[in-house]
Amino acid sequence: MKKNMKRTFIILSILAVIFIFPFYWLIIGSTKNVSQLFQKSLLPGVPNHFIENTVNVFAYEGGVFFHWLINSLIYSSVGAFVGVFLASMAGYSFRRYSFFGKKTLFIVILGFSMVPGYATTLPLFMIFSNLNLIDTRWAILLPSFVNIFGTYLMIAYWNQVPRELFDAAEIDGANDFTTFLRIGLPNILPGFITLFILAFVGIWNNFFLPLVMLNSRTKMPLVLGITTITDPQGFPVYNLTLTASLYAIIPLFIVFLSLQKYFKPQLGGVTR
Amino acid sequence: MEGRLFPSSYQKLKHGGGFFLKKRRLDSVKAYVFLSPFLFFFSFMVLYPIIKGFDLSLKGQRGARMWYVGFDNYARVLTDPKFWESFKIPAYLLLVQVPLMIFCAILIALLLEKVEGRKGATFFRLVYYIPSTIPAIVAAIIWGYMFSDSMSPFLPILNLVGFSGKLLTREIVPLVMLIIILWQLTGYTAIMIYSSLLSIPKEYTEAATLDGAGYWQIAFRIKVPIIKDMLITLFIFNAIGALQVFNEPWMLGGLVVLPTNYTPAMYIYNSAFAHGRFTYAAAMGLILAAITFLISFYFLKSATKEMFTE
Repeated sequence: MKKNMKRTFIILSILAVIFIFPFYWLIIGSTKNVSQLFQKSLLPGVPNHFIENTVNVFAYEGGVFFHWLINSLIYSSVGAFVGVFLASMAGYSFRRYSFFGKKTLFIVILGFSMVPGYATTLPLFMIFSNLNLIDTRWAILLPSFVNIFGTYLMIAYWNQVPRELFDAAEIDGANDFTTFLRIGLPNILPGFITLFILAFVGIWNNFFLPLVMLNSRTKMPLVLGITTITDPQGFPVYNLTLTASLYAIIPLFIVFLSLQKYFKPQLGGVTR
Repeated sequence: MEGRLFPSSYQKLKHGGGFFLKKRRLDSVKAYVFLSPFLFFFSFMVLYPIIKGFDLSLKGQRGARMWYVGFDNYARVLTDPKFWESFKIPAYLLLVQVPLMIFCAILIALLLEKVEGRKGATFFRLVYYIPSTIPAIVAAIIWGYMFSDSMSPFLPILNLVGFSGKLLTREIVPLVMLIIILWQLTGYTAIMIYSSLLSIPKEYTEAATLDGAGYWQIAFRIKVPIIKDMLITLFIFNAIGALQVFNEPWMLGGLVVLPTNYTPAMYIYNSAFAHGRFTYAAAMGLILAAITFLISFYFLKSATKEMFTE
């Protein structure tokens, strides 16, 4: 049995190396200039160009990278928070009240959670161009305010909150909104944080929506911005793209790792 | 028994019918007050675009001029060989990547279950999960570069064993996409399966152990059948993912020239924004949505059932 366990750990470690390898290659890639990259070595560049690459990424086109970073942070945090907050209000409503059209509404929400973005984004582009919202930050924020799959999951989370809590609050004279805010939300906080992280990562990683909606580089999120890095002649600059990619995922890791203990992996949570 | 969404009608028993009716009407109003912000954005960002998309799909288009043509666009999409060709990649992913990934994920989940609670177990789960959190675009940049002829760290090894051709060709792109998706999602899928393995009651496996069943026998004859629903759901979600693949071929298309109809999502995007055929693209989008809906039907049905019954 002991030998068996050792073998399990060896297999798990080999898998871990495979999963980490691309990250390793990304990191050593960011220490090289183009000619070092072309040498195909698996060791960091000698001399090390990491700082030079970093400076070049941040100085690229007058510091447009900072715009991308701030845009990504705004789109992801505001979009995720509003989306999950509205979802939790909907979930509360489903838990607390029996109301006209409840089952129908649930089925509609669940059904539409499966509608692909590729079907809604084009018409949304037409709608937004009539409203002059194309190439504005609203074109990214407004669609992220509706988190349909999150709403479905929120309904499931709220179902675990004991109804007696609401009754007790009602007897104490709390109104329905106070009950939601003071009694309800603290009870679903772990679910709230999980969905917030998922939505944050989902918006951070969403490429298609900004690709369709934005033209100005200063409004792009990181994930779109880094694909536009070229030299003045329009040719790709591999070392800069790699270094920028590294900096595009570091904030994601910080958010993910710092909130990790509240995070419960969730089915259907990966939006690539 | 009441379903979970309608947990109690005790008020009806406690008070008279009249009070109940009034209370119910008030509850409905309150419920929709709480639902209204969500419903507002849902209507404008999802429902309206779909209706608008349907309206667009019924129109012919020349430049900015549009006029109604009935279902002509749908008829043309369904007879467009380029539309059907775009399903080659999703079909390949569905037949190769999805089953391969779920199989590997089951094995990894069983290994994770084995070391559950031991030192280092959390570390492995974190490492396996992390690739799924990064953007597909970044994953495609890393792997695309790792397979490019100028930078590939694999090329020196391949040259040693006698390979001397061009590495990144159009023929190898499906393989690169397969590797990207496996790298990103196998660990995540394994952790999903691992969580449901943990919820299997111990008695189930203990009885089988006493009967002399071996480890793998227990794993595949008892555990896997118990988590069948989870596996079907994973299969459905990955099938939908395969149908919608866009980011990887878009990024790899910067390294190798790929046709504009390489995947359905790429064909929709290119029809609209490269060829300016918005109404045609809208029809394709809705057909894709309909196929997605059909694929997810089992999940939708079981999720509804789960929500409405104890």
